Amino acid sequence: MLSAADLLKTLPYFETLGTDAIEHITREVLEFSFARGEVLFLEGESCRGLYVIKSGQVRIFKTSPEGREQVLLVAKPGDSFNDVPVFDGGPNPASASALEESTIYLIPTEVALSLLTDCPIAVSILKLFAVRLRHLTMMVEDLSFRSVVGRMAKLLLDLAVVEDGPSPVRRLTQDEMAAMVGSVRDMIGRALKHIERAGAIKIEGQRIMVVAPEKLREMM
Amino acid sequence: MRGAIPRINLEKCTGCGDCVEWCPTDAVALVNEKAVVVSPDDCYYCTDCEPVCPPGAIRCPFEIILAITQPRAPKEE
Ligand code: SF4
Ligand code: SF4
Repeated sequence: MLSAADLLKTLPYFETLGTDAIEHITREVLEFSFARGEVLFLEGESCRGLYVIKSGQVRIFKTSPEGREQVLLVAKPGDSFNDVPVFDGGPNPASASALEESTIYLIPTEVALSLLTDCPIAVSILKLFAVRLRHLTMMVEDLSFRSVVGRMAKLLLDLAVVEDGPSPVRRLTQDEMAAMVGSVRDMIGRALKHIERAGAIKIEGQRIMVVAPEKLREMM
Repeated sequence: MRGAIPRINLEKCTGCGDCVEWCPTDAVALVNEKAVVVSPDDCYYCTDCEPVCPPGAIRCPFEIILAITQPRAPKEE
């Protein structure tokens, strides 16, 4: 098994650091073990530092308002995560839990930042970048959600037919809708709720009633 | 009209009980090691049982219906 110093040296972040600096981090680094399923930290909590996986696998995920989980990344040995809040000082942007028994190094925020004390401008630049990255991530999430909403609106408009009319009513599971609009089930559930809140459809049990086609058209 | 309930394919169902554990209203239970919606009136079609079923035995399809708000003459073929 690699020593902490050996592992840290392989990280893109630290590959240019000299032995002294690596030794400094190695002294300060904290090592934790997590059982399968155990939570490392939660989205919204204040950030403790930069995490590096020594062994095992960690799932980084966000939880939607409906309580569903969206996996952003499965981190493997040698991967680091939770870097954005280290540099912008904000809360954890996502949660993390161990997918299997895992050993994790935590480089406390102050230690990570201490490597930059000689170069205050680097701290300011990184902070600015981290803030922008956080903002862009949120924008991408928002945009991708909107585009799913738009494609769902089109699907509903295309498929909706009157009951007892000449064409048979289409019956689709959320997985099938997801496949048709190039998305995943969780997003379909959220998109349908969003469209319902906007007043374009009404979901009554297994029936999705298109009550305002013009509103669906506006969402496309 | 009674509300819709999930369709469970008993040939695919392995009786693992995951849907029973997951259902927020205990509408589904194991009967002879197969999942059955035993209390259909308690099922509110939340569809939570659908994604948790390991062999994909549960389907919760939705009908996509164009509501006619104003009564107007239906188009005949
Ligand atoms: S749809 Fe919801 S309420 Fe109905 S059986 Fe499944 S989990 Fe239970
Ligand atoms: S989760 Fe699926 S396989 Fe397991 S008991 Fe329910 S229907 Fe059967």
